[in-house]
Amino acid sequence: MKRDKKIRVVVSKVGLDGHDRGAKVISSLLREAGMEVIYLGMYQMPSDIIKAAIDEDADVIGVSYLSGEHLIYTPQIVDEMKKANLDHVLFVAGGVIPVEDISTLKKMGVDEVFVAGSLTEPIVKFVKDNVRV
Amino acid sequence: MGVKKHPASTNQESSMIWEKYLDAYYERSKSTLTWSGLEVKEVYTPDDLPKEKYQTDISDPGDYPFTRGIHRNMFRGRYWTRREVIGMGSPQDTHDRLKLLVDEGGSGLNTIADIPYEMGLDADHPWAQNEVGLTGVCITDLNDMETLTAGIPLDKVSWSLITASTAASVTMAQYAAVAKKRGYDLKDLRGSVQNDPVHFRYCGFKPACPLDLSIKLGADVIEFCTNQMPLWYYTTVNLYDLREQGLTAPQEVAFGFLIARLYVDEMIRRGYAIDMFAPRFTFYVSCHMDFFEEIAKIRAARRIWARLMKEHYGAKQPASQKFRFAVHTAGCSLVPQQPLNNIVRIAYQAMAAVLGGVQSLHCCSYNEPVCLPTENGHTQALRTQQILAYETGVTNVADPLGGSYYIENLTDQLEDAIYKVIDEVEQVGGMYEAIRTEWLDRKFEKEALSRQKELDERDKIVVGVNMFATPMEEKTPFGVQRIPSKSARMQIESVTRNKKRRDALVWKERILALKEAAMEKKNVIPYMIEATYAGATTGEMMGAVRLAMGYSYDPLNILEAPF
Repeated sequence: MKRDKKIRVVVSKVGLDGHDRGAKVISSLLREAGMEVIYLGMYQMPSDIIKAAIDEDADVIGVSYLSGEHLIYTPQIVDEMKKANLDHVLFVAGGVIPVEDISTLKKMGVDEVFVAGSLTEPIVKFVKDNVRV
Repeated sequence: MGVKKHPASTNQESSMIWEKYLDAYYERSKSTLTWSGLEVKEVYTPDDLPKEKYQTDISDPGDYPFTRGIHRNMFRGRYWTRREVIGMGSPQDTHDRLKLLVDEGGSGLNTIADIPYEMGLDADHPWAQNEVGLTGVCITDLNDMETLTAGIPLDKVSWSLITASTAASVTMAQYAAVAKKRGYDLKDLRGSVQNDPVHFRYCGFKPACPLDLSIKLGADVIEFCTNQMPLWYYTTVNLYDLREQGLTAPQEVAFGFLIARLYVDEMIRRGYAIDMFAPRFTFYVSCHMDFFEEIAKIRAARRIWARLMKEHYGAKQPASQKFRFAVHTAGCSLVPQQPLNNIVRIAYQAMAAVLGGVQSLHCCSYNEPVCLPTENGHTQALRTQQILAYETGVTNVADPLGGSYYIENLTDQLEDAIYKVIDEVEQVGGMYEAIRTEWLDRKFEKEALSRQKELDERDKIVVGVNMFATPMEEKTPFGVQRIPSKSARMQIESVTRNKKRRDALVWKERILALKEAAMEKKNVIPYMIEATYAGATTGEMMGAVRLAMGYSYDPLNILEAPF
């Protein structure tokens, strides 16, 4: 896909989870891969993430879950995305997520899940190949 | 798990396998660096260990500078404490798991807070409600602490309270309140509290941990225990959590020691002589994948702490100079890819801890990078410790690696590297400044990024990730631990009910007394104990102190003070 503008990614933590090492690292690495990354940091609620995605005209939302909160917040984020007509935005999740929950998250509306220990290349490739303009 | 289909079906595939075989057969180790990047030689000889060094830098186990361990007889005196970290769901769920592991041979209790409790929030805080019990146990009021400790003889057990944040003061008060109510003398209580609020700002809890508040409350707990709980280890300075952010071994020790010194300096400022409180200092240390480097790190840490206490602070008692530590095997070294391999990683790390002379050990469960430990996962982690203790023979002799040309040389190298990091911090104006100016935050971020790049570029190998990778399994072996939402719901109901039922007048009087004490810079722990009896909660007590020190009642700025 040929694009004039850089891919814009909003990366965020959600709720109280303070494990932010992965979110910060992936933000830097996506930037190095040529994307525009807006890292929201911790203590964001689903509505905060959606608001940022709209304000920033994001192509991708990346959410990092490390406290077993993925099944709680994912439906809320997807719901808010629908309400805001963000169907074109790619939603990628990462973190400490049991494999058996990956298909559940995808059914809920997550486009892809990258668990802890993922390498950077497949993440960058997935985003570049699947981003919808 | 993670096994590819074999044998190859075509001739071409078959020949590729034998090419791979030849590569594997002739492959040799290319590494000349330790995990932290220290250069090591092909072989070490007597030239690397001058004879006079034994007297000056090494000494026998139990003798200053304690390089070889803090006890002469080490595990012949007593095994390390087999203490698995437990915290999940409600106080009752956590209590049940505690009992299970004691029944299976665990020898220390170790409970960990969930994120709301670590933030100092009540279970019914609007932001906490979704997350109560997901990563640990939430203690909001006296009733929660009573449920957690019910029927456990508090004068017999050694309890490690991992609360890890500014809320350590509240945890200590709640535990002491329950113990006193049940008729125990505080003097008889054994255990430790992870009272290291400063480090917690690097674990994602910055709004809950303003620096001055962290040092004040940290020192209040130390002071209270020094005066009233002589058998209690009043602070476990957490090097482990720092390492988990992606640091190297020397950085782990250097930054951890510099944080520890903030509390030591505050106690001295309050007028305490070093030997009055230093004997109850403990540390929580990581054991990562580089076996010898981790052992050398521990030995170097013992030497540096002993010298710091003796030479810098003038500590005269050997007990003040001893670096006592627990190990948590490195959670960040574990991966969800081919998860059973983690059992092997954990076993090596645990053995490094034991050969390093550990006092207390938590082994991660193989499902650490997947979920909280299941009953199976927890029990298996305990079994790893038991195999080490009872089957391998590593407990027979104190510091069995002492005198090894390599280990002693590597210990020196680690020591130099640790001092180098300490100097780096001095260059930016010392630890307080390094924290205040966020120099340290930037350091953490830089290191974490380097670790991921090393993985991406295969500078560091992780089997199942950047070598010998296989497609993800469809199921986690032996299942996933789920936290029943019922547990959180019931706890939130109980907390809400207790808030309604308490005597509002007494509650208000005690919470205002706590706030006033904090404003007058008094030690707040006795006031927290009294407030706990009057039904005051974690969030309210933290809020009272926060207000007194000029911060918002609620670190998240959602709730207004109810008093």
